Amino acid sequence: MRKIKESLKVIFCLALFSCDQKLDIEPAQSISVDKALSEENTIKNVLIGTYEEAGQSASFGGRNHVISDLLGASDQISWEGTFLEPRQIFTKNILVDNSFVEGLWQNSYEVINQANLVIDNITVINQTNESNRVEGEAKFLRALAYFDLVRHFGGVPLRTEGIVDYSSDLNIQRSSEEEIYNQIISDLNDSYNLLPQSNDFFADKYAAGALLARVYLQRSQYSDALDAAHDVIVNSGHELADTFAGAFNNDVDGVEDIFAFQVTSQGGTNQCIIFYASQSNGGRQGDITLQPAYFELFGDDLNDARYSFNYVSPDNGGTLTSKFTNQYGNVPVLRIAEMHLIRAESNFRLSSSKGMTALSEINTLRARSNAKPLSELNIDVIFNERQLELAFEGHLIHDHKRLGKNVGSLESNDPKLLLPIPQSEMDSNSEMVQNPGY
Amino acid sequence: MKKIFLSFSFSILLLSTLLGQKKITGVVVDEIGIPLPGASVVEVGTTNGVSTDFDGNYTIDVGENSSLEFSFVGYGSIIILVGEQDKIDVTLNPSNELAEVVVVGYGSQKKVTLTDNVARVTSEDLSDVPTPNLFNAITGRVAGVQINQTNGKVEAGLNFRIRGQSSISAGSDPLYVLDGVPLINDDESSNGAPTNPLITLNPSEIESIDILKDASAASIYGSRGANGVVIITTKKGRSGEASFNINFSNGFSSPAKTRDWMNADEYIEIFTEAAENGLAYGGWPGNGAAYAEARFDRYSDYTWQEGAYDTDWEKIALIDGHTRDADISMSGGSEKTNYYFSVSYNDTKGIVRGNELKKINARTNISHNFSDKFSMSMNLGFNRTKIDRIANDNAFVTPLQAIAQAPISPAFLDGEPFSNTVYANFLLEDKYGFFTTIIRRATGKISGDYKIIPNLKFTSSFAFDSFAQTEDQFRGSKTPFQSTNGEGTATNVQTENYIFSNYFTYDKNFGEDHTFNAVLGTEYNESNRRFTSVQGEQFPTDDFQTLSSAAEITSGSGNTTAYSFVSYFSRLTYSFKNRYLLKLGLRYDGSSRFGKNAQYGTFPSFSAGWILSEEDFLLDNGLINFLKFRASWGQVGNAEIGNFASRGLFGGVSYNQRPGIAPIQAENAQLSWESSAQTDISLQFGILENKISGEITYYNKDTDNLLFDQPLPLSSGASSITKNIGRLKNSGFEFLLDTKNIVKEDFNWKTSLNIGINTSEVVALPGGNDVINSRNILREGEPLYSFYLPEYAGVDSQNGDALYYLNTDENGTLNKSTTSEYTDAKRIVAGNPLPEFIFGLTNTLNYKNFDFTLIFQGEFGASIYNSAGRFQSANGDWFDNQTKDQLNRWQNPGDETDVPQARLGWSNGTGHSTRYLEDGDFIRLRNLTIGYNFPEKINERLNLKNGRVYLSGFNLLTFTNYSGYDPESRTDAGGIGQVFYSAPAARTISIGLNLGF
Repeated sequence: MRKIKESLKVIFCLALFSCDQKLDIEPAQSISVDKALSEENTIKNVLIGTYEEAGQSASFGGRNHVISDLLGASDQISWEGTFLEPRQIFTKNILVDNSFVEGLWQNSYEVINQANLVIDNITVINQTNESNRVEGEAKFLRALAYFDLVRHFGGVPLRTEGIVDYSSDLNIQRSSEEEIYNQIISDLNDSYNLLPQSNDFFADKYAAGALLARVYLQRSQYSDALDAAHDVIVNSGHELADTFAGAFNNDVDGVEDIFAFQVTSQGGTNQCIIFYASQSNGGRQGDITLQPAYFELFGDDLNDARYSFNYVSPDNGGTLTSKFTNQYGNVPVLRIAEMHLIRAESNFRLSSSKGMTALSEINTLRARSNAKPLSELNIDVIFNERQLELAFEGHLIHDHKRLGKNVGSLESNDPKLLLPIPQSEMDSNSEMVQNPGY
Repeated sequence: MKKIFLSFSFSILLLSTLLGQKKITGVVVDEIGIPLPGASVVEVGTTNGVSTDFDGNYTIDVGENSSLEFSFVGYGSIIILVGEQDKIDVTLNPSNELAEVVVVGYGSQKKVTLTDNVARVTSEDLSDVPTPNLFNAITGRVAGVQINQTNGKVEAGLNFRIRGQSSISAGSDPLYVLDGVPLINDDESSNGAPTNPLITLNPSEIESIDILKDASAASIYGSRGANGVVIITTKKGRSGEASFNINFSNGFSSPAKTRDWMNADEYIEIFTEAAENGLAYGGWPGNGAAYAEARFDRYSDYTWQEGAYDTDWEKIALIDGHTRDADISMSGGSEKTNYYFSVSYNDTKGIVRGNELKKINARTNISHNFSDKFSMSMNLGFNRTKIDRIANDNAFVTPLQAIAQAPISPAFLDGEPFSNTVYANFLLEDKYGFFTTIIRRATGKISGDYKIIPNLKFTSSFAFDSFAQTEDQFRGSKTPFQSTNGEGTATNVQTENYIFSNYFTYDKNFGEDHTFNAVLGTEYNESNRRFTSVQGEQFPTDDFQTLSSAAEITSGSGNTTAYSFVSYFSRLTYSFKNRYLLKLGLRYDGSSRFGKNAQYGTFPSFSAGWILSEEDFLLDNGLINFLKFRASWGQVGNAEIGNFASRGLFGGVSYNQRPGIAPIQAENAQLSWESSAQTDISLQFGILENKISGEITYYNKDTDNLLFDQPLPLSSGASSITKNIGRLKNSGFEFLLDTKNIVKEDFNWKTSLNIGINTSEVVALPGGNDVINSRNILREGEPLYSFYLPEYAGVDSQNGDALYYLNTDENGTLNKSTTSEYTDAKRIVAGNPLPEFIFGLTNTLNYKNFDFTLIFQGEFGASIYNSAGRFQSANGDWFDNQTKDQLNRWQNPGDETDVPQARLGWSNGTGHSTRYLEDGDFIRLRNLTIGYNFPEKINERLNLKNGRVYLSGFNLLTFTNYSGYDPESRTDAGGIGQVFYSAPAARTISIGLNLGF
C-alpha cells in the first residue's frame, strides 16, 4: 500500500508541478490587441497595416478600378474573360452574392476599421509631428475608402470609431450620402492640415488635396475643386511625365504619381494586370479588350500616343491597353494629369482661368501625347478628353453619373449602376436595407 | 457476507486436505493469448470452484479423478480430465463475436461485459481491398459511421463522421489514436485541397480498429472525444515459431463513372445559337454568330469548319491508373519476447492525370518480459509517402476542369499542349510544372509495465509522433499564366506531438461474483509545429527547378505554433456475477487553446449493463443464448479550434517592405470547449446458438456551447468571431444484424447488415437568427448546413426565360408564383447536405478452398449541389462545353423543357438555385473479393504454411439517379455538400497473392 501511495505521489507531481505553466503558450506570429493599440511603435505599425489592407486585391489592389470601368463601359471594351463576377458587372446584371462586390465592401470596411483604430489611439504617440502625420494618413485612407463606398453603394453605414469588442451589437443603419460626404470632406481637410509636404510613398498633404479635388468635382463643387486642384498642381512638385507611357507601369512612384498603392514582387498586388494584361505580362490573357468604339473616341487623331498605347494579346488576339503591363508595377490612384483635367473643367464651368485657361490646360495635356490641340471646349469634349487620358483608372462610371451620361441604354441614375449591398451584410446586419433593384 | 464467504472457503479448504486432494495450477487465456481474469474454474459435479486472477492464473485443489470445467462469459467452456497433470493451461475460444476484446483507451475490455458502444474492425476486414487509404477499407463496416474520401485524388482528404456531424465550426474529425498515440491529423496541404494526413498509415500493419462511438467510451479522451475516437492497434508477435507473410497485389483502376458531354458538332450548334440569341436579347456581345465563330476559330486553331477535332477532354483528364502493393512481415516470439517486423510498399497511380502516390512503411513492435513483474515494449513505425499532386478543384489547371474545354480544340498540337483553349490548358501545367509532396512520418511509443502488487500494475509510456512534410512546386515558363520565367515554391512543415502517460491499472476479483477494474492516470501532451516556405521566380531556364536558381526570391515565411493538454483520467468498471455491469469514468483536461477564464474542463461518464441471458429465467433457454441491455451517458468535449482562437490578435504584414500589423482575430476570452452530452441505449442479442446476433441502439448526441464562427456584419471590419453559442442535436438508431446462414464443414455463409439512421437538428442559435454561409444555412429546427437556395421553376414556354418560384412569405404560406427575375426569388431550405440513412451489407462465404466477400454500402437523404452547374449545364451561357442534356434547351415558343433558352453571356437560369441541386442517394458495390486458398498438398510441396490468391474489386458498381460524377465525391476547394469539378472515385480491380511460411 505504501508503494501505491508513493507511486501516486510521483506521477501526480510529475504532471502537477508545472501544469499551469505548461498551458501558457504564447502565439509566435501575433500580439494582443491591447499591446497593438497601446504603444507608439505598434500604432504606427497599424497604420502601415492599413495601407497594406487598402492595397489588397479586392479594392485598391485594382479591382476597384476594374469594377468602375466595367460598370461604366458599354461598347468601348468587351469582357472576354471567364470569371462570372466581372461579367455580371459588365452586363449590369449583378447578383447580390457577387464576390467582387462583397470583396470591395469588406475590404473597404477593414480599411475603415483599421484607420479608426489608429485615430482612436493617436494619443499614444507623443511627438506632435508624428502624431499629426499618422492621424493625417489614417484619415486620408478612411476618406479614400468611404469615397468609393459612397460612389458605388450610395449611403452606407458610417463607422468612425474602431471596433475591438466584437461581442457588442454591430448592427448599424445606413447613413445618408450627404453624411458620408461630410465625413469624407472633413477627414480630407484634417488630413491636408495634418500631413507634411512630402511623405515618401505614403500619403502626403497633396494626396489629401488631390483626393479632395476629386471629391469636390464629384459633388459639382467646382470652385472648391478648382482651388484644391490648383494647389496640388502649383505646390506638390508633381508634374506630367515626359511621355504618356512614362506615367504608367512604374516600379516606384513616378513624377506624375501623387499617390499610388505600392506593388513589388514581394508584396502588394496589381489586379489591373490580372484582367487587362496578357499572360506574358502577368495577366490572365487580356480579359478586357479594347473595341472599335474606344478608338472612335480619338476621332481622326491617329498620332495621339494614347491611341496607339495598346498591344495585341498573343493569348486571345484581343487588343489590350498598355497601361498595365508591369506585373509588379504600382497601382496608380491619383496622378497629376487628373488634377489638370479637374482644374480645366472647373475653370471651364466657372468661366475662370485660374492657373491657365481651360483650353490651354487641356491642350498642354494633349501635347504630351502628341495629340492635336483642340480649338474649342464643351463638357462633352472635356469628358472625351478624360476618357482618353484616364481610361481604365477607375473613373468611368463615376464620370457617367456625375455628368448624367447614359451607360449604353441605361440612364446614369439607373439602379443597375449602383452595386448591391452584399448578401452577407444583408444576412448579418439586421438594420441593413438593400439598394433598389436588388 | 464476506465473513460467510471466507469461512465457507476455509471449510472447503479444510475438507479437501482431509480428502487428500491435489493442487492444480495454470493460466486461462483467450484465443490470442491474453489472460482471462475472472474466468471460472469448477470441478465438475461439485460446488468447488475458483476464478482466475488478473493474469488468468488459478489454483484449485481437486480430487484425483476429477474433471475441470473452464468457462467465461461469451466463450465456449472446456472440460478437461485432470488425470496426472498438476499444471493445466487452457485457451478458451470465443463462442460468438461478443467475446472479442476491444481496445478502449488505456486498456482493453471484453466486448461481452462492455457497457459502452465500441465497434471493432479487424485486420481480416482490411486486407485485400485495393486502396492506399486505410479507412476506405472500413466504409460500410460499422453502423452509424460514414466514411468517404473527398474525391478521386489519391491523397484526398477524408470525411469520417461518427453518428453525424456534431460540430459546426470546430473540427468534426474523430480523434485517431495509434497504439496509444493521439495522431497528428492536420491537413498541411498548401494548394487549397486538403490531403489526408493519415494516408501514411499502412493497412497491412493494422491488427484492429476500434471505434469509440458513444460518449461514455470516448470520455476517457475528454476534451478531444466529442467526435468519437478511432483507436488503431498494430500487429504484434505471438509466442511460437516465427512466421513470414508475403502479400503482393496489382490492381487496375479507372474512373467509377464518367458523364456525357457535347461533341464538336453539338458544341458549335449550341454556341452559335447562344450567340445569336445573346445578340437578339440585348445587343451584347455585339455581332452574334460572328462573335461565336471568331471564338471557334481561336479555340479550334481555325479548323472547326472542317471538323478537324472532336476532343473528349474527360478522357484526357481521367485516365487509367493502378495500385500495386507488396508487404512482407515477420512475427513470432519466445516465452519472454514477442516481435513483429514489417515492411511494405504501395504504388498508386490515380485516375486523374498527374496524380500519383508512392509510399513505403516499416514497423517494428517488440515486447519483452524482464520478470513476472516488469515488462517493456516498443512500437516504432515510419513512413515515407511521396505524392505527385494536382491543383485543387477550383483551379483552372486542375485536370478535371478540362471538361469545360471546347471539343473543337485539339488537346495537343504538334506534340505540344494546345494553348488557345477556352480555359488554360491543364496539359501545359502537367507537362511543364510539378507539385510534389513528401511526407516523412515516424510514430513510436516506448512503454513499461510494472506490477507493484499482483493486482496493481503501473504503466508509463512516452510516445512520439513526428510528421514532416515538404512540398516542392515548380511552374516552368510555359505553364499557364506564367510571366516570370518560371516560379518555384518550397515549403517545409514539421509537427511533433509527444505524449507522456502514466497510469495505474487495478484488477481484482472478490470471490466469483465481484470483478473490479480501475484505471487512474495522468497524461501530458504537447504539440509543436514549425513551418517555413520560400517562393522565387526568374529562373535561367526551365531546367533549373530548385529555388537556389531563382534570381528573385519573392517571399519567405517562417512560423511556429504549439498547444498542450494536461489531463487526469480515471475509469472504474465493476461487474457483479458477470451480469450486472457498471462503469464510471472521469477526465479532467486543461488546454492551452482556451481562454484564460475557461482553461479546464471535467468530463464525466457513466454506463451500466445487464446481461439478461445469465439470469436464471433465461439460462439454458433454447432460443435466446445472449441478451444484454446497456445504457450510457457521458460528456465529451471538442477542442479542435485554432491554437489561439480565444484571443484578440494582430498579426504582421508588410507594405512595400515596411513592417506593419493588422487585426487577424476578434477576442473572446470566454471561449471554451464545445461540450457534447450523449446518451446511448442498446440491446445486444444472440439467438439460436448465436446464428443470429445483433444490436439495436438508440443515441442522442446533444452538443452545447458550440464552437462557432459567427459571421459578423462585414461593415464591422471583421468577418467572423469564434464563440461558444448554439446547440446541435444528432440522434438516431443503429442496427446491427449478424447471421450465420450456413455453417457446414466446407461451406460457411455469414451476413452482416448495419444501418445507421441519423437526424441532425440545429436546436438553438444566438438570438434565434439564421446564419447563412453562401449556399448553406444554419436555422433552428433544420438539419445542419441545409442548402439554402432560390427554387428553380423551369422555363417559361413562351420566351425561354428561366423561372424561379417567388417563395415570398405571405402570412405563413409561400407564394409559389414564378418570376424570371432571379433577384426577386426568395431562398428556401432546399435539402440536407448530410445523409440521414446509411447502411453496409457484408456477405462472407467460404466454400472448400474458396472465400468470397461482397460488401454493399449505401447512403440516403443527402443532397449534392453542383456549384459548377452554372458553367457545365448552363444552356450555353459561356463557352464551356456543356453536358449533353443542355441540347434540350428551349428554342421556340411552346417548347416544354426545363433547360432555358441559350443566351450567350446573359445568365439565363445560371444563378445558384435548386436547378443544380440533386439527390445523392446511392447504393454501391464497395468491394468484392474472391480468394482461393491453396490446398494442403500444394502448401506442403511449396513449403508454405498457407497460400492464397485473390481477386478483389473496389467500387465496382454504383446504383444512383445522381447525374454527377460520383455521389461520394465532394469538392476539395471549400463548400459544404458541394461538388466543383470534383473527380469521381477510382474503380479498381486487383489480383493478389498471400504466402505464409
